[in-house]
Amino acid sequence: MKPLTFTLKKNPSFKVDCRKLTPDKLKDLNAKQILEITLNNRIKVIDLFDINGENFERIVFKNSTSQLDYIGHQMSRGSITIEGDCGDFLGANMRGGGIVCHGNAGDRVGDQMRRGMILIDGNAGVYCGSRMLAGTIGVYGSIGNYAGFGMKRGTILLTQAQTLHATIQDCGTHTLPFLALLFQSLKPLSTKFNLLSSYRVQRYAGDLACNGNGEILVLL
Amino acid sequence: MIINGIQIDDTFAEAFNMRSTRVIITALNLKWAYHAANAMTGFATSVIGCGVEAGIERELSADETPDGRPGVSILMFAMGSKVLMQQLETRMGQCILTCPTAAAFAGIQSGDQISLGKHLRYFGDGYQTSKLINGIRYWRIPVMDGEFLVQETTGMVRAIGGGNFLILATSQASALHAAETAIEAMKQVPNVIMPFPGGVVRSGSKVGSKYPSMFASTNDAFCPTLKGLVNTALSDDIESVMEIVIDGLSFEDIAMSMKVGIEAICKLGAKSGVKRISAGNYGGKLGPHHFKLHEILGAAINESPA
Repeated sequence: MKPLTFTLKKNPSFKVDCRKLTPDKLKDLNAKQILEITLNNRIKVIDLFDINGENFERIVFKNSTSQLDYIGHQMSRGSITIEGDCGDFLGANMRGGGIVCHGNAGDRVGDQMRRGMILIDGNAGVYCGSRMLAGTIGVYGSIGNYAGFGMKRGTILLTQAQTLHATIQDCGTHTLPFLALLFQSLKPLSTKFNLLSSYRVQRYAGDLACNGNGEILVLL
Repeated sequence: MIINGIQIDDTFAEAFNMRSTRVIITALNLKWAYHAANAMTGFATSVIGCGVEAGIERELSADETPDGRPGVSILMFAMGSKVLMQQLETRMGQCILTCPTAAAFAGIQSGDQISLGKHLRYFGDGYQTSKLINGIRYWRIPVMDGEFLVQETTGMVRAIGGGNFLILATSQASALHAAETAIEAMKQVPNVIMPFPGGVVRSGSKVGSKYPSMFASTNDAFCPTLKGLVNTALSDDIESVMEIVIDGLSFEDIAMSMKVGIEAICKLGAKSGVKRISAGNYGGKLGPHHFKLHEILGAAINESPA
């Protein structure tokens, strides 16, 4: 079965709220009903997207741009693949499943996420992983300020050293065995993370203002 | 039945239902995987005194383990699920948590899920973190050498313990040599362990004793030094008897392992000093599984010139 694919017809001039387009929320609908879903600004799916594919557990956004916010909001299962950039709040309040973004993501990636995995091949904006409760976010490119702001648990995996705020504390360099399992599980997703082979990281713990059981791992 | 001059008694081994689990231990290298596994399976020869029977099933290369490091797989057997769970936790805590670089993973995914690192995680004193990878939960416990990685649970399955056979020989040296030969061959069979020292036991027992406090005592019928005193099972030329006990995940696994072991001994021939192969049972009333030597070796009869 082909994944359910939303192909953006043209870049909208306004921000589009895509929180209704997750495997959880589409599971009982048919293609016709999906086209009639109202997004924000009284815009319907049919006005913005061409859709095809019948596997609603796997969703693909094609021609995606930074105007598409809240992709994967509150999703608990299945997968979402973004071929292009996406807007703010990618995977916010996520409860499970996986999101892969092959372009850049906006601000507050994984805000308040509880479970699941978000992988971004490009860059991410400010407040990445803010108020995260658990789960994993990987950003292959660069990242804005205040990563992990208010995070309680969870892992943010980076490939580039970043300036972090004061309540994220440096715990030194380590070779972490669990990364072997993690990297292995990423193999089928064909992201840039497949280029990684070292399990050596600089480990930052935080946010200490919120117990500090989260971590930001910067691969060395 | 006679194979290569060695008599195979028309008898059977009597075995019992047990509960079992498999744990995969990995480490920085095989040396430390063995240190961990040897500690974990130490003092685990018989459920009578050790709670569990455990042993190393086989060595695993780096591409066979979950974390890509060399390792070994361990099988652990107990008479009931409660003992198995308790022993697994104690041994994980004292032998794997403590062993440098070691990590532990479930070796059986099916069956009832029992705690592998689920309770051990509290050793982390609040600094432990979990990771859910491909639907499986792992715990990362901070320890002085870095991080101890352990899967949350492992599968517990129904299994069989107590498959066995006896090697009767004209000298202690030839009985031992035959036992060693059998063990080397049996180590190649998956899903079984031979829990006794080096896989071999010399103190076979019978049920009961003249002392009221003892449940089991020496199997006098097979003790060569008592030939003139008791109702012996030994002929004049037998001077030493060794037993190999097998625990396995299924009847077929144990039967295969017994067949491989006995055939390896028969290949040595009567000139090796081995005269007879027998098996231990309690009259067939205690254990539900009967491994009949002649049936197990059925295939061997056709192949053998004898």
